[in-house]
Amino acid sequence: MAGRGGGGGRKPRNFATFRLFPRAGAADPNDRVFVRVDNNDYSVPGFADEEAFDSDPTADFHSSASGPLPESVRREILELGLPDDGYNYLSHLRELRPSAASSFVPSSTARPEPLPLDVKAYDASRVRVAPSADELDEGKTICKVAAKTAPLRKVQRAVDPDVARLLDESDASHAGSEDEGLEEDFVIMANQAEGDEEVEEEEEELGNGVFSDIEEEEEFEFEDDPKPRVRRLLDEQFDLLALEEYGDSDDEDKGGRDGDYEMPSEAIDELKLFHNQNVCVDDEYRTPADFVRGKLESTTADEVDESANVIRKCAEYAERYLNEPAEEVEVVLVSESSDESEVWDCETIVSTYSNLDNHPGKIETPGNRRKRLPKVFPGETATTNDIIKLHGKEKLPVDYLPQRKRIAEKEKKVKSAEASSAEKIKKEAQKETKEEKKARKAAVKEEKREARKAKKELKGLYKSETQKAQKVAAVTGPSSIRLM
Amino acid sequence: MAAADVAYAPPMKAGKAGFEGGMPDVQHRIRITLSSRNVKNLEKVCRDLVTGAKGKKLTLKGPVRMPTKVLNITTRKSPCGEGTNTWDRFEMRVHKRVIDLISSPDVVKQITSITIEPGVEVEVTISDP
Repeated sequence: MAGRGGGGGRKPRNFATFRLFPRAGAADPNDRVFVRVDNNDYSVPGFADEEAFDSDPTADFHSSASGPLPESVRREILELGLPDDGYNYLSHLRELRPSAASSFVPSSTARPEPLPLDVKAYDASRVRVAPSADELDEGKTICKVAAKTAPLRKVQRAVDPDVARLLDESDASHAGSEDEGLEEDFVIMANQAEGDEEVEEEEEELGNGVFSDIEEEEEFEFEDDPKPRVRRLLDEQFDLLALEEYGDSDDEDKGGRDGDYEMPSEAIDELKLFHNQNVCVDDEYRTPADFVRGKLESTTADEVDESANVIRKCAEYAERYLNEPAEEVEVVLVSESSDESEVWDCETIVSTYSNLDNHPGKIETPGNRRKRLPKVFPGETATTNDIIKLHGKEKLPVDYLPQRKRIAEKEKKVKSAEASSAEKIKKEAQKETKEEKKARKAAVKEEKREARKAKKELKGLYKSETQKAQKVAAVTGPSSIRLM
Repeated sequence: MAAADVAYAPPMKAGKAGFEGGMPDVQHRIRITLSSRNVKNLEKVCRDLVTGAKGKKLTLKGPVRMPTKVLNITTRKSPCGEGTNTWDRFEMRVHKRVIDLISSPDVVKQITSITIEPGVEVEVTISDP
């Protein structure tokens, strides 16, 4: 402005600007404060927010710097679980007010309850308990226990209601329950089947287990029993089977097996003997039936006997166990297919297919037959149409070869030769036909020109359509298609 | 006589200490600027403020509507350069209203303690009368 001095410049800034912000740490979005936004010297004492804003932090600042926090503050900090080190942690907390956005739900799992003062808790999860212990050396066990347990200050509440109920019950009710032990003593009952000796041993072991001894490294040396588990019926069965399979083949022991199979042991023995001997096939394959029926001669007499025996015995057992009337043994002879029959012939192929899959058609000469118009040359009769004519030195079916210019020319020549007589008569007409030809060709050219024009027009008209199509093709179509 | 008249001063009532008389607070010129991207909320807040101020019988200069600022961003739709050159046009409209009052800051605080819609920004400038 004209009236202003050179040195003076800015207008005196006698204003203060405040902005409404939500209060820091407040849950309620409507809890707002005015915050000064500018840096002018102008002060507005009336705007009470400033004072309120200043008072608390400054007071805290003074108090925390100078001396210990007031007692109420300290108690509150301790209640929250924060350390009492002279710092006012409350300044970092915000009040939770129920609003639409959030609501406080106490978690059921997180916070462990602090122990009452007259209770001490230890974490014994790392203590190892041995299933069987021969000796209870109290001194050693106590040391082992102490080494693995850790004291706890807070015990987590049991989430399961049953567990909680059990924990809550007083110790007095549990005093007699140790003798009762497990209500289901299925382990004992199962082991009673084996024998009394073993049962006694197991009961001792179980008894030790219930009192939960601690595993000691030295105890391992005293344990002679290679099987830490209790021996069951299944174990014995397994041992027997193992002996049979991999031990010496003692025929006598097999009688002691449980009746698991239907076949009697004698049959098994016979079959095994038969299997062990090498049955060599010399010239022809002969089944045991052949020997029985005595049709063919055999090389070894023993084999004959054995095979005969086997068959006889099988027949007998079949009688016994199937309760069928005694009949001659029916032996099914499977004839091997000879080499000749392995090869398929057309007949077989055709006969094995049904017409659903196989569509036999008449074999014809390749394609050209249909493309060609029926030629009627003078001198040709209808019957000669079916004959494939061979021409030339190589005797090729000329008509049906792939189209060749020479042949076409030949045909034309032939045609022209045939029609040459007619040509001379039509010379005048030919000239006209030349003109006609010119006219015709010119007309064709015009058509093409017009078509090109129309295409260009259409292309311009529908350019937006092509753009859209291009967009779509860019996503879906192959890139080889070019639209624009 | 004229001198006596002039000399005569009307008797002043001795009030309490600190009693200023007349208006209890210092009057300031206060400008409330409301800005938002949402016209509806903004108009609602304006209306509430104006009704509040009129209820308190303040000198009010009604909501002055500043021209809305439109911020435009025009970008290619495609993340790569390929394809038809299509463009996105994004815009953001900021509306601004200004209300002038003459009152004390306390009254202003009361008025602005009404529930303000989300998205409306309130700025208060206090100046000498």
